[in-house]
Amino acid sequence: MSKLNPIATEILWTRLVGIVDEAAATFVRASFSTLVREANDYAVVLTDRNGRNLAQSSQSIPSFIATLPETVRLFIREFGIETMRPGDVFITNDPWYGTGHLNDATIVAPIFLNDKVVGFAGVVSHLPDIGGRLRNPANRELYEEGLQIPPLRLLHAGEEDKVLIRIIRENVRVPDETMGDLWAMTSCVTSLGLRLVNMLNETEINLDEFASDIINRTEVAMRDAIRAAPDGTWTYEIHNDGPAELKGGVVVIRATVTIAGDTVSVDYEGSSDQVNLAINTVLNYTKAYSAYALKSLFAPWIPNNEGAFLPISITAPEGSILNPRRPAPVGARGMIGHLLPPAIFGALAEPLGERTQAAPGSPSNNIQITSLTGRKRYAINAFLGAGQGGGAGRDGASAVSFPSNLSNTPVEVLENQAPIEVQSRHILRGSGGHGRYRGGDGIGMTFKFRGDSPAMAAFMINRIKCPAPGLLGGSEGRPAKLEINGKAQAASGSHVLSNGDLVIIETGGGGGYGEAK
Amino acid sequence: MTLRIAVDVGGTFTDGVLLEEATGKIWLAKSLTTYVDPGNAIATVSQQLLEQYGAAKDVSQVVHGTTLITNSLIERKGVKTALVTTTGMRDALDIRRELRYDTYDLGLTYPMPLVDLEDRHEISARLGPDGSEWKAVSNDEVASVAGKLKADKVGAVAVCFLHSPVSSRHEEQVRSILAEALPGVPVSISSEVSGAIGEYERMSTTVANAFVQPLVKSYLERLRSRFTESGIEGRLDIMVSNGAFTTAVQAGEFPIRLLESGPAGGVLSAINCGTLQKADNILAFDMGGTTAKSCVAINGLPEITHTFEFAREKRFKKGSGLPAQTPSIDLIEIGAGGGSIAKISPLGLLQVGPESAGSEPGPACYGLGGENPTVTDADLILGHLDPDGFLGGTMKLDAEKAKQALAKVGSSVGLDALETARGINEIVNENMAAAARTHIAEKGLDARRFTLIATGGAGPVHAVDVARRLRIRRILCPIASGVGSCLGFLVAPTRADRAWSKVESVDALDRESLAARVATAKSEIVDEITATGAHADTIRWNLCVEMRYLGQGANVEVVLDPELTASKHELIEKFLEEYTSVFGRMVPGGIPEVVTWRVWGVSGETVRRFELGSTSRVAGEQTKRDLYIPEKNAMEQVDVLQRGALPPGTKLRGPCIITEKESSLIISHAADVQILGDGTIEVVLDEVAA
Repeated sequence: MSKLNPIATEILWTRLVGIVDEAAATFVRASFSTLVREANDYAVVLTDRNGRNLAQSSQSIPSFIATLPETVRLFIREFGIETMRPGDVFITNDPWYGTGHLNDATIVAPIFLNDKVVGFAGVVSHLPDIGGRLRNPANRELYEEGLQIPPLRLLHAGEEDKVLIRIIRENVRVPDETMGDLWAMTSCVTSLGLRLVNMLNETEINLDEFASDIINRTEVAMRDAIRAAPDGTWTYEIHNDGPAELKGGVVVIRATVTIAGDTVSVDYEGSSDQVNLAINTVLNYTKAYSAYALKSLFAPWIPNNEGAFLPISITAPEGSILNPRRPAPVGARGMIGHLLPPAIFGALAEPLGERTQAAPGSPSNNIQITSLTGRKRYAINAFLGAGQGGGAGRDGASAVSFPSNLSNTPVEVLENQAPIEVQSRHILRGSGGHGRYRGGDGIGMTFKFRGDSPAMAAFMINRIKCPAPGLLGGSEGRPAKLEINGKAQAASGSHVLSNGDLVIIETGGGGGYGEAK
Repeated sequence: MTLRIAVDVGGTFTDGVLLEEATGKIWLAKSLTTYVDPGNAIATVSQQLLEQYGAAKDVSQVVHGTTLITNSLIERKGVKTALVTTTGMRDALDIRRELRYDTYDLGLTYPMPLVDLEDRHEISARLGPDGSEWKAVSNDEVASVAGKLKADKVGAVAVCFLHSPVSSRHEEQVRSILAEALPGVPVSISSEVSGAIGEYERMSTTVANAFVQPLVKSYLERLRSRFTESGIEGRLDIMVSNGAFTTAVQAGEFPIRLLESGPAGGVLSAINCGTLQKADNILAFDMGGTTAKSCVAINGLPEITHTFEFAREKRFKKGSGLPAQTPSIDLIEIGAGGGSIAKISPLGLLQVGPESAGSEPGPACYGLGGENPTVTDADLILGHLDPDGFLGGTMKLDAEKAKQALAKVGSSVGLDALETARGINEIVNENMAAAARTHIAEKGLDARRFTLIATGGAGPVHAVDVARRLRIRRILCPIASGVGSCLGFLVAPTRADRAWSKVESVDALDRESLAARVATAKSEIVDEITATGAHADTIRWNLCVEMRYLGQGANVEVVLDPELTASKHELIEKFLEEYTSVFGRMVPGGIPEVVTWRVWGVSGETVRRFELGSTSRVAGEQTKRDLYIPEKNAMEQVDVLQRGALPPGTKLRGPCIITEKESSLIISHAADVQILGDGTIEVVLDEVAA
């Protein structure tokens, strides 16, 4: 007889989330990457033995949660469960099967109970460096973006793969930090596996049975929430700054959303074609951000497992910017992926009304600077949020990372890591669009480069040409700006910074929602 | 005769304990907290105590703790506060860390900063990350800011400059100019209040300190004169969040350090009880109406955290509040108390809390109109509570109403009232056990070696089952747990801390300047501790340094000989040892560096045996009651004993119930139960969960 009931399942679920969060906490503490510890650019996920998403760390960015199970399924396909041994640890950074760019490594370990694989522990994390040209929208092919790590074993039954480690060390700018993070990730999946095994031994629960129970319950709740919304098909188009080769230098995302009974589908037919610029978004990532938007709208309160995504289907034409072919460059895929939630909100504004919100001034903006001080190399990678769109019952929040969840790096830490002087980091008051619910304000940041040797700097600043649109009569947010030594830059890109150079960045205001009274 | 008094001002009650130093005898008092002037309740309680025993002239010390500071921050009842910061940084309070504390909630809101935009002023003085001066302080510029502050009639000033943890000279310079220009207006500087790297968190801490400082200072001064008027000439000392007490003067300078003073006292009291019974590993467990709190203590020392959050937008959501970086006893707090509401989640699962029914309408069984079943309703149906004996019989509980509410919620997923009650009890106990389990696992400890110490109104009701779930066999229930925080105040040591951050590789350490810095810190600490009446010879010294590999963000704490005898080589060795024990493996090629140094001194006893001063035994009769027995999945009649009627040495067998006015100890499992010499109840379970 099954031990599961509305009480036992709740208790097991609490414990499962608890052990994933424990593993995540240990990983963050051990990590070298500022992106992990300051910006939460990681996720820890537990799947069942079929790679079905069961539970994930609470403080993680939404996209990784959906992509990681895909990566687990890749390892299952590539290697076959029967070849896996205790102590095996798998690694890849393949964008198409992973998180959409080479900078994120996914590490997965099978979990054994009584000599059988019962599940997988996985962690995705943004590495301190992956070689290649710095994450730069101007890259024209994947090969320029850094080292590709195909699906491989990092540990063979506990033994390090010396060849692979040597190759990684030789191809990255900061090998100690990069390997340090990979080992921290390895400890994380190993300890997560141990904790799960302890829990299964203690509770004598069959994980497959428990997984099916919680996934089914989640699926039913998601379907109920979708069924409560009116049926129909709606289309919305959203624009952002793009390369010159696109018509008008503008990226077009066209989302057609259909609610039919207890299912919802999104099709991106009519969106821009893939480009020779690193803003292409692999289908895995397209799916992840679309699913995030739908879950936030329909059932934010349900857990984040496979069941939440079963009633959802996402399609994008092959060769489009949302489903590119290899070897398209993909490094800055967030610039496009982050547009998917506002595109879906726009399409569903009519049937869901107050639940939706206008577009944010993001996609996330990013600064990277690298060079040498004396003989020591430094590399910083900092994020800047923007104004969130108005709506969902309130004015948009200022200075947040939406739809991603990347925190800023303290000015004191930035100045410790790189020779810059941050002269200001402030709220751009009044930059959010007007409306019944106002858009949130963007962020301004001014810094002076003080290094003796020139540095490579890559800027990813969005919405310079195309500000965040308002929704249902709300007005648009103020556009973003990038200025170097008083000269406005028309678009994001790479620059060499010399001592005394002054950089001014302004991120976009969020769109307003509804007509202002 | 030497007497000491402890007074704890809580949200509902003001508690007091009088201690006779020579004998360890205690007398208790309680009064409703008086919000308009908390001093009224304190006076009432002190008077009640001295009516029972002793005389005002014999009181050598009053130790005071309070939640009033936390409340005034939450209710924003501080003074008009100004911020003076580095040019370009005043919006750090609005920008925060840009993090969304709930990824899927599209309509998140954040707490407003404590300082309005027009009260934030910037000056151009600037230090670099290594503490070198990029731009000197301009006296004229500061004077002009001071002029504005004067015109604005600000009540307090917070000063927070970039890189002040590395060098505090600019903050000190500006403070002295402002102090001269604005007599009577207190100035808090971030390098003293917090001293940790990361401008937002440090600024938030400093601003909060300034916001409440004038009120706390005058409150403590009024309290002092009130005691003097009532003939108590003894010292007034204040309990702080790290589990020690300090002088009222220090507390008035750094009120932010008092945020958790009450709970810290509760934890110390639990540790005292455990230490007397030779428990090395202690889990202090307290449960009230809306929350449950627990804390891990090893070898008599509670875990300390350096980050804390107050005024949360969503009470149990980490990241939704304002940060305060101040050493506090590390409490695990979850939204599970007697009033926590049970419901069926959209997934068809039974869930408990964090929403609470509060005291009005309260649980369904209060009969005040509450329709939602709560933990208290479940406890009533399971026989954990006596319908006629709740709060000493002052409140009758309606079992029929509880049953109806439970059945209504349970029926949608096929559970009857008893099954629902059982489920609520299991879930709430498991939630508490899970929180403690995570905490214990993070420290790499084995829960089975712990002793659980139960306090609070609902603590003893749930403690035995929470322990069983953690595989803890031994549970202690101390005397006078209703005034537990006060007992903690009476065993608290006095303590003073100094800390400074300077990031450098171990190789680059200059031992001479480090030794000089440690010596300065020690002499300041001696001054601070001797001000509490302790002798300098009694100070126990501690020195530790937070270290990491170059490039890492999280530190490990390395404990050193306080005489700073360790060589650089030994420092690295100790770091590697500590690092490996926390993270499992070393980092080949990593460069160890030091980040923050901490020196502290502690003086005073930390363990003592208490005995109730009034010896009159309650003449209580033994009764019987139906109690739910999990092993049999059935109700069974068990003995109900009056705690006050049980002399030391009494031996009992569980299942049974031991009841007193404030709470009941519920033992639903087979166990040996004993009343120890000082009145503490000891429960040793026959078996713990598989």
